[in-house]
Amino acid sequence: MDSATENLRGSFLYQLFDSMDLNLESDGNQNEQEQQKRHLHVLAVDDSHIDRKLLERLLTVSSYQVTCVDSGDKALEYLGLLENTDNDSTTSCSSSCCTSSSSLSPQQEASKVNLIMTDYSMPGMSGYDLLKRVKESSWKNVPVVVMSSENVPSRINMCLEGGAEQFLLKPVKLSDLRELQSHILNPLSNSCKHFDDSFVDDNTNNGSHSCKHFDDSFVDDNTNNGNDNNDNDSDKKNNNSNKRKAMSPDCSERRPKITELVVL
Amino acid sequence: MEGVIQLQRQLVEYRTSLYNEGFLDDQFIQLQQLQDESNPDFVVEVVSLFFEDSQRLLNELTKALHQQSSDFKRLDAHVHQLKGSSSSIGAQRVQKVCIAFRHYCDEQNTEGCLKCLQQLKSEYSLVKNKLETLFKLEQQVLAAGGSIPM
Repeated sequence: MDSATENLRGSFLYQLFDSMDLNLESDGNQNEQEQQKRHLHVLAVDDSHIDRKLLERLLTVSSYQVTCVDSGDKALEYLGLLENTDNDSTTSCSSSCCTSSSSLSPQQEASKVNLIMTDYSMPGMSGYDLLKRVKESSWKNVPVVVMSSENVPSRINMCLEGGAEQFLLKPVKLSDLRELQSHILNPLSNSCKHFDDSFVDDNTNNGSHSCKHFDDSFVDDNTNNGNDNNDNDSDKKNNNSNKRKAMSPDCSERRPKITELVVL
Repeated sequence: MEGVIQLQRQLVEYRTSLYNEGFLDDQFIQLQQLQDESNPDFVVEVVSLFFEDSQRLLNELTKALHQQSSDFKRLDAHVHQLKGSSSSIGAQRVQKVCIAFRHYCDEQNTEGCLKCLQQLKSEYSLVKNKLETLFKLEQQVLAAGGSIPM
């Protein structure tokens, strides 16, 4: 087995496909996608009650099953990763700290987390800390998406380098989840052009990622808003739509090339 | 039937004015899109959370700013929360004041912070009234047998 396949075997894609019993050779039509999504269980982590409610609704509308927790510690507890506890702790955790739309038992639920979405700024354990803990654990193949209301390039790069699947700017929209889902559900049909040297513009490519370079000239969203007396709303909207997603320029080194995926 | 149409028109006009005057932005539209027959009160529920949250944070800010020496880090943390929640529901004017507020926190400028707190209270009170009026108009349309136009 060559090293590329070796890498892919351990990748989250295989984990994901295994857990979904997905027939890789079938066409991904709309109904099938919906069915696949219903198997997908998202663990959402955010200390803001409003944002949890919003995220839960966004994910439910997008046909995912959702479990919400309000801290990194609760997330680790749910995943069975807290140092002094074992998997039995998920029973008590489910009843006291989580809201979940799943019909599975707590043990079954916690054994199937397909995606983790976490806020960055949380008291105590930050989203980045949680990311690192997850990536060092048996859950390391589960994609982790980090969200933040603040557009800080160094923070974004740090999270991506730390293994985050994607970094989303808040408030998260339905269109963000659509793009996320198309990446997680259809990695084969998803355009891989962005992993090459050419960078694809967000507006011209439907349904695929774009890589944006963040360099020193990048202006922070906050300073724009604070100093802009003319308050050009459409400018700000354009800025925001370009900053919605971010990927590190080094993404191609971090990820296995999808074109080398072996169909079983 | 005429009554319903008039009520609907009133609602749409009022809602449009809120966007035009910057009280609400696109995010509020996103919230409305998440509401359906299975979750008919979603927007009201989220906005109610926002009201509770904001009241609490404004109280905290008032307390924190009327102490001997202000803890600017703590002030900033509260404003950050309020900025987040106002952004999540699309309360644009409140969010903008929060952004300015945070700059004054960074500069440790008490006078600037006090000014912003005053502005925040005023903007919050305005958007609260506007949203409550909007919800009342929606209820009137529904009570008259109409549906809420998008």
